[in-house]
Amino acid sequence: MVRLITHNLLACHVKGCTTNNFPLQFQDVQIELQEAEFNPDFVRNLLPRLEWGALVDAAKQVGDTSLPPEQPEMTDDDVLQKLHHVLLEIHITEGAMVCSNCKHIYPISNGIPNMLLSEHEIG
Amino acid sequence: MSSKDVIRAAVLDDPQSHEDVHVHAIYDKIATHFSSTRYKPWPIVAQFLSGLPTGWIGLDSGTGNGKYLPLPYDRPGSVLTIGLDRSRNLLHIARTAGQNPSPTREVVWGDVLGNGWRSGAFDYAISIATIHHLASYERRQIAVERLLECVSPSHGRILIYVWAIEQDQLSKRNVPLDHEALSESTEPIVGQDVFVPWAMTPQNVKAKITSNSKLQAGSSDSSDGPETCPPPVYNRYYHMFAKGELTMLVRDAAKALKIEVGVPEEYTEPGTRGITVTQDGWERSNYYVELRCWEI
Ligand SMILES: [Zn+2]
Repeated sequence: MVRLITHNLLACHVKGCTTNNFPLQFQDVQIELQEAEFNPDFVRNLLPRLEWGALVDAAKQVGDTSLPPEQPEMTDDDVLQKLHHVLLEIHITEGAMVCSNCKHIYPISNGIPNMLLSEHEIG
Repeated sequence: MSSKDVIRAAVLDDPQSHEDVHVHAIYDKIATHFSSTRYKPWPIVAQFLSGLPTGWIGLDSGTGNGKYLPLPYDRPGSVLTIGLDRSRNLLHIARTAGQNPSPTREVVWGDVLGNGWRSGAFDYAISIATIHHLASYERRQIAVERLLECVSPSHGRILIYVWAIEQDQLSKRNVPLDHEALSESTEPIVGQDVFVPWAMTPQNVKAKITSNSKLQAGSSDSSDGPETCPPPVYNRYYHMFAKGELTMLVRDAAKALKIEVGVPEEYTEPGTRGITVTQDGWERSNYYVELRCWEI
């Protein structure tokens, strides 16, 4: 599945594409909401390692505008709940992710992103 | 010859094509049957995943049927492991790995030699029974480099498992060891390229047999119906690791990335990146190594 937690980690790896290769932009996506068990400690501890701006942008691209533009300093339960939803409950099932730099398209089908490159694209 | 026997192999074609034919295509064919036999986590791997702090995110590079994605069982949901594999059919199984009803797992279709992650994004990475499917030393080294690159340089943890030449009794595999070459060789650390037959069981064949005769590597060449046709045997390529070879591979990968191997106390220059080998051993016919990253 591609959830936003995974999207926050993925980067374009086409040969020579080393700048502006993160985050990938969603294109023509279909989403599915699936409830997940809320673990506040998990979300709180994970927070420092997220790329916040990329997460907020990606959430907007899939229609969620609940996150503040700046990473909040206070992580009360309300913030953690919103983050939990954005990171773990929105599933991108179809569509693609496109590199802003080289425009390579990584298709998503049946919830599985295809990060394979053809031989001449491998770095 | 029993299907547990291992056949000597040589990588004659280009390693990439060799893997395509003798690894990737086979796993896509045997995915369901293979998965039904792979459900018990290895103790060292389970222990590694149990020891991770809550909130950590990791990569299972070569996740197969995703059997490690639901772990740790004692604290489910405390960490999140993303599964990467080359076989799409195995990934379909991995997506729902775990007890029913299972939460959806995160899986990515990709190559372990790829680098589709922002650098240092993960807290941990595991590579279990995967790197031994790569058909050259260079490619196995790159796979280790990818693991080192994808985890945090300051606190990343890595666990790698590969198949050993030294097999235990339980595995019941008959490996044609070249003892003479091993003992007399001046090059002490050389693994062995082999094919390991995967025999489909008859009940699996009935469901699976279609037009895949091209990939049958066994003696079966008949066009009879599934009732009389012996189950197909697929020969998967493995590089069996010699004692010390995995550690050497890790050292070479670290060197290529200018990462020191040792403890941080031995270094003084700020900005030095290193790894400490915290475990290095043999378990149930496999070599494994655990690494911890540090930065000063
Ligand atoms: Zn790119």
